[in-house]
Amino acid sequence: MNIIIPIKQVPETSNVKMDKEKGTMIRDGVQTVINPLDLYALETGIQLKEKFGGKITVISMGPPSAVKALKEAVAMGCDDAVLLSDKKFAGSDTWATSYTISQAIKKIGHYDLIIAGERATDGDTGQVGPGIAAWLDLPLATYVSKIVKVDEKELVVERLVEEGYQKLQMPLPALLTVVKEISNPRLPTLRGKKRARATEVPIFTAEKMDLDPEFLGLKGSPTKVLKIDFPTVTRGGTLVKTGGEEGVEEAIDKLIDFLKEKELV
Amino acid sequence: MKYNPVTKEVLDELKSILGEKNVFTDEEKMETYSHDETDVKVYGHMPEVVITPTTAQQIAEVVKLANREIIPITPRGAGSGLSGGAIPVYGGILLSVEKMNKVVELDYANMLFVAESGIITNEVNELVKEKGLFFAGYPMSLETCYLGGNIAENAGGGKAIKYGVTGRHIMGVELVTPTGEIVELGGKLAKDVTGYDLKQLIVGSEGTLGIVTKATVKLTGLPTAKSNLLVLFKTPKEAIDVVPEIMAGGLIPTSIEFMDRLSVQTSCEYLNETLPYQDCGAMLLIEMDGTDQDEVELNAEKIGDKCMDNGAIEVYVADNHTTQERIWSVRRNIAEAFKVASPVQVIEDIVVPISTIPDLIPELEKISIKYDVQVPCYGHAGDGNIHAHLVKNPNSTMEHWHEIEPKALRELYAATDKLGGKISGEHGIGLKRKAYMKELINPAELELMKAIKRAWDPNNIMNPGKIFDMEDM
Repeated sequence: MNIIIPIKQVPETSNVKMDKEKGTMIRDGVQTVINPLDLYALETGIQLKEKFGGKITVISMGPPSAVKALKEAVAMGCDDAVLLSDKKFAGSDTWATSYTISQAIKKIGHYDLIIAGERATDGDTGQVGPGIAAWLDLPLATYVSKIVKVDEKELVVERLVEEGYQKLQMPLPALLTVVKEISNPRLPTLRGKKRARATEVPIFTAEKMDLDPEFLGLKGSPTKVLKIDFPTVTRGGTLVKTGGEEGVEEAIDKLIDFLKEKELV
Repeated sequence: MKYNPVTKEVLDELKSILGEKNVFTDEEKMETYSHDETDVKVYGHMPEVVITPTTAQQIAEVVKLANREIIPITPRGAGSGLSGGAIPVYGGILLSVEKMNKVVELDYANMLFVAESGIITNEVNELVKEKGLFFAGYPMSLETCYLGGNIAENAGGGKAIKYGVTGRHIMGVELVTPTGEIVELGGKLAKDVTGYDLKQLIVGSEGTLGIVTKATVKLTGLPTAKSNLLVLFKTPKEAIDVVPEIMAGGLIPTSIEFMDRLSVQTSCEYLNETLPYQDCGAMLLIEMDGTDQDEVELNAEKIGDKCMDNGAIEVYVADNHTTQERIWSVRRNIAEAFKVASPVQVIEDIVVPISTIPDLIPELEKISIKYDVQVPCYGHAGDGNIHAHLVKNPNSTMEHWHEIEPKALRELYAATDKLGGKISGEHGIGLKRKAYMKELINPAELELMKAIKRAWDPNNIMNPGKIFDMEDM
């Protein structure tokens, strides 16, 4: 079974600082990691490979530094990695990104399954996976929480839906986006790291993939981020001070008045 | 030991020295000051009064008063100690340095800082981070503990193999002696052999030789790159045997943490984590740091290779914050996980020569079987400091536990002693271990310690009842 896994390199978000004026994240000194939700896609793919054999190609679109994320995926157990990197791709929205990645997948060729993460923790759209399925005209199952059955021609999966789980039977090749519930991502191994270091990551440019320039980057993106607003905190606390032990009763009266005023008692 | 009670007159005098708001006797407020992180039911004791001085001069006056009236003083930092060192066993005055928490000087030209002893250790690190520096001698509890407590206990922690324990970084202290003098010991000098090194005598003296009010502390270049290895071994012996191999290789890790299977399994179950512990008997968590990520990763790889050459089943690599946090949280949550599984336990921190750790493991197994207790074993393998817990079998009675606990501890300490080890590597003797220390220490050495205590604290008012008892005073 040949599997393709698109991943994204995102800023490590445990300690994110925002530039309030520009509305963007301060990226200086921030480590980048594989999008944490893509790790579940990687683990799912690796488990399928361990069971059925085949090859996993991991693919990412981003600056040359995204090679690091791809190599980490190889260290976990993926076989090949491809980086889509070109200045022309800069500023892509989910439409342009899914177009570019889908064309790269076409170029890579023979595959049975594409597995993507649920969404990226930075953009938070969850549209690129389904977008790739649309460009490639593949059957799609989102929010997959379990792979029930796989054979050469078809796949049975369980999707996490609001009411519970939905079981879907679908033909291969297909595209899945997976949720956390599906697996527990493994850590990269030392052997994997060494293999990753020796793995050459080919870089696909717009020219190499023979892409329609109208569909690329900022120019090819029908959506634009115009402004990022910070939510205003509308809840606020009121502190009733006692000013020492003698003020306690007075403070309690104030609190009761406040609760009455808000019709809470 | 006979001490006088804190009378109304003494309270009034304390208030006149310190001001009303820095003296309190309200039971509810004092309760917090009656224990540290040891079991409050076993070791807790209420003070008669709690004071929160703000200057060394105030402390000196209080100490003089205590000598005049023969009232014990127990100094206290953040109360995160694990040996009962800050517990006022004889009541008296509990002196908390919590209000003495200012940075006095950031002297980057000499790579040091001067701060009052009540500062939270981590606050110092936050402050000097922008200059690319840090205080490297901090313990695992850095987010709550105070600098003064670190000095009193000579705290260790997870990074001691490379950076050493607290004492290595303390250049000077301002001390109020047990007789109420204010002295400066050491200072900003990198070298100083002008007489005895009294500053180092204070480090680790558990508040029995005075109250540190200020400290001059060395700063170290902050490492910016890190790589971690989680190495799985079939047996604890194989894991420990690789430690001297690593150390002899010349690449000194920041930490080499050992976790036996029981520790990993309990912590993983507690965290809902899925590290593949099923087939392994023990794990090592090895951290390398430096300033160049590629170089650090390469060095970590060399150590990983050494582990593989010495029988490791698998080596996992964590090069980024997310994966590093994942494996470190397993190590950090072991104690907490056991508390959930069986809340009755004793946490020990014996230390043995590194090469003898494999000989210690079968001894722990013997104790575990003989007394029907779980003995998870984990800790700082790189410096021989092992945290062996004795965890009560949840199905046994408390009476049974009280009966076996001292016996099992004595056997643990005897095994440690036989291997050339000591009963505490970093938590201190305090209240909790003094009976055992007396049994194991050379009497001549103990007498030298007592002679020092007698000379410094003739009335035995400074944190009495800790480390050893002064029966003849």
